[in-house]
Amino acid sequence: MDPGKFLLFATGGLADAAYLFIVAAGLSLVFGALRVINMAHGSLYMVAALVSVVVANKLGAGIGFFPALIAAVLVAAAIGAVIEVTVLKRVYGHEHLVQLLATYAIALIIGGAARLIFGPNYRTTTAPIQGSLTILGYSYSVYALVMIVAAAVIGVAMYGMLFRTRLGRNIRAAVSDPELLNASGVNVTLLYTTVFVIGAALAGLGGVIVAPSQAVDPTIGDSVLVLAFAISVIGGLGSIIGSGIGALMVGEVISFGLITPATNSFALAFVFIVMTLVLTVRPWGLFGRPET
Amino acid sequence: MTSLLPRRRADRVRWGLAILLLLLAAIVPPASQYLEAQGLIESARFQIVLGVTALILALWAISYNLMLGYAGMVSFAHAAYYGVGAYTVAILLQRYNISYYAALAIAPVAAAAVGIVTGFVALRAVRLYFSLLTLAISQLLYSIAEGWYGLTGGDNGINGITAPDRLTDYPTLYYFVFVIVGVSLLLMFILVRSPFGAALLAIRENRERARSVGLNVKAYELAVYTIAALFAGLAGALFPLVQSSVVPSMLFWTENATPVIVTLLGGVGSFLGPGLGAFIYTGLYNSLSRDFPYQLDVLLGAVVLGVVLVAPGGFASVPDLLAQLRRRIVGEGPVATEVETKGEAIQMIDVTRAVEAHAIQAEPVASGKVLLKVENVSKRFGGLRAVEAVNLEIHEGDRHAIIGPNGAGKSTLFNLITGRMRPSAGRIWFDGRDITGRPAHVIARAGIGRAFQITMIFPRLTVLQNLQYAMLAHRGRTVQPWGLADRIYRDEAMQLLDAVGLGPYADLPAGQLSHGDQRAIELAISLALGSRMILLDEPTAGMSAFETRKAMELVRRIATERNLTLLFCEHDMSVVFGTARTVTVMHQGRILTQGTPEEVRTDPEVQAVYLGELDVEDKEAAPA
Repeated sequence: MDPGKFLLFATGGLADAAYLFIVAAGLSLVFGALRVINMAHGSLYMVAALVSVVVANKLGAGIGFFPALIAAVLVAAAIGAVIEVTVLKRVYGHEHLVQLLATYAIALIIGGAARLIFGPNYRTTTAPIQGSLTILGYSYSVYALVMIVAAAVIGVAMYGMLFRTRLGRNIRAAVSDPELLNASGVNVTLLYTTVFVIGAALAGLGGVIVAPSQAVDPTIGDSVLVLAFAISVIGGLGSIIGSGIGALMVGEVISFGLITPATNSFALAFVFIVMTLVLTVRPWGLFGRPET
Repeated sequence: MTSLLPRRRADRVRWGLAILLLLLAAIVPPASQYLEAQGLIESARFQIVLGVTALILALWAISYNLMLGYAGMVSFAHAAYYGVGAYTVAILLQRYNISYYAALAIAPVAAAAVGIVTGFVALRAVRLYFSLLTLAISQLLYSIAEGWYGLTGGDNGINGITAPDRLTDYPTLYYFVFVIVGVSLLLMFILVRSPFGAALLAIRENRERARSVGLNVKAYELAVYTIAALFAGLAGALFPLVQSSVVPSMLFWTENATPVIVTLLGGVGSFLGPGLGAFIYTGLYNSLSRDFPYQLDVLLGAVVLGVVLVAPGGFASVPDLLAQLRRRIVGEGPVATEVETKGEAIQMIDVTRAVEAHAIQAEPVASGKVLLKVENVSKRFGGLRAVEAVNLEIHEGDRHAIIGPNGAGKSTLFNLITGRMRPSAGRIWFDGRDITGRPAHVIARAGIGRAFQITMIFPRLTVLQNLQYAMLAHRGRTVQPWGLADRIYRDEAMQLLDAVGLGPYADLPAGQLSHGDQRAIELAISLALGSRMILLDEPTAGMSAFETRKAMELVRRIATERNLTLLFCEHDMSVVFGTARTVTVMHQGRILTQGTPEEVRTDPEVQAVYLGELDVEDKEAAPA
């Protein structure tokens, strides 16, 4: 393969990894701290993507993207807060089954509501940054490159939040030793709501960032959710670094899976083969810890 | 006891409802035709097809509940096996011109074959990670169905499938499906009440306990997963009778919503509940999708959320709710099943009778020979040496205590002996047989029983079932997929329960008993297995002084009279010195000394270690 083509597909994989990382990191963060698998995570991604497209197009394609981004992330965070306070608070500590079913029901409700509000058809918007670069004979969209940088920045910001702030310290305590947290006088109720809202905002952010580069409809959350699961499970649920590595693996596998006509129908199948292989060797993921 | 009466009444209501449901399902075609003739419904054909759809859904959902309700496994791949069944029929009919009936026989086998291979992979993980792996498998199968144009027609699917001529008459079609679904349900019903079903319930309730009574947990999970895939494949194979096309989206993970919702509606706790759920769902879905096509998902989601948060028992819990309501109206006092026992059972232990109970008669054998030999065993966790070069010989008939400060490696050593962990080095022999690193259930079956530090019982099974199922598992009876598990070893288990004072609570869910009584169940399970050697990890933790004395008296008497070998660790020194013949002291993963209780008690080194450590513990405990 010529190096230009290789770089093209590698960059394509990075671009996929970028938005998938943001979504998966939110899912993983919520699971790590709250021990809840949020089946409605993809729905938050979908709602934010739809909201951002509608708002951006209303304000004028391109320049309207930035206010749309803020509006959409706020909507996702607000829905997250409502879910956490009304439903999740009642199922903490229950069996995983109850949590899976409860959040799954929420996913159905949000999906149905989105179809009622936005209609079943797909929508598109244009990227806020136009233009393209040519490297080694192949053309790259500038927006995709910006997306990769943005994901890296968000990753670093999350790392800083987790390891440099009081909130981050409490979240890490919730991940590693919930009993200690209870004993240490932290307002656990508020902390849980905060973590879930951050997770919801990350789902929304992922949706907004990817929205200009694809068609958006009320079903896009279903397949992203499965990919986010694959990533956080490969990386280890609860680990942000794991989400990063997992996203890179999944993004590149999808991208290089598309490289030949013989394999491109099976690009997604490869992701699940990789996931199955990783879990067969390490059932709790690359950076995860076994659940007791 | 009067408390058992309402339970039976609820059971009768449940059986009545089941028969009523079957009768109603049986008269769908003539009833529809009658209603059409009376002008009450527009089309009898439409109603009959709806009925067929409900029957297929009932089969699908009940097969799902084999995993969810009976084994506690949440799978997201069940739609995929349904899809494999449907695709198999479609491909065989369209590409190979095989008759529908032959295809109908092949499809479930194909689904089971895919099920056993993918299930094997998914069962590498447990619980949540198992669920997520099934999700991946589901999407993998979906990707294949969508991508393999040559075989599956890709995203167009396979169209124009026709039912055989003989089934074009609607009532005939209905009864054809009715008989197939009926026979399948009967087979599954026999299965869940059999000793095999008992093993599933034990696994659902407590995996660790199930393993320690001798169940190969993964093998049973794989078996039920494959059986569920088989029946899902059969349901999928019936699908082309009512729909002429098969498409890849049938395998997409979100399709699992249907069996999950139906099972929840009907009730995970009952066998036929999901069948009832299937009819309700089909009717509801049909009218809702006609009148509110766009609000459908929101409504379904709200129903699921409501069921999960408010009535986790689904429609099948209605008889119980009615029984409760009736009692409230009649004023019969509180519901018996909500009463907690007060821990009096263990105080009623009749040691003499317990010893005579048939269930706990271990083989009497000459003592003196080495039963368990631990040879140079070490266990390291990363850099931490939890157990280091331990040598230990336990003689048959000995009562051997292991003591030592917290973190001395006692529990790790127990875990190594019982197969919960593999040693990093060294060998373990039991009765001349090398058991190093063997799986826990194999070691349990070889004759090493175990009672845990925390209470390990099957909480939602009755006290009697706790014992019966443990016996079934330990004696290898749970491979049998027919017969009534609840009738096997009943008298034997009852005798033992009476002896340990738990007789009056035999029919209560074990989880509702007090802590002390649950410990008594735990002890009874260990004794019921007839193991030659029992490992007790702090057997009296959480018991009162009186309960402790009673429990240890029982253990001691049984050990003496049946020549049972005991290995136990305990913090309560009065228990240790009152029960043990030999005491081994562990410190920092190594064996410090061994001897009679008197020798150990006076050993200056032991005193130094113990007093030093106790000081530290006291200091740690003080500020809290």
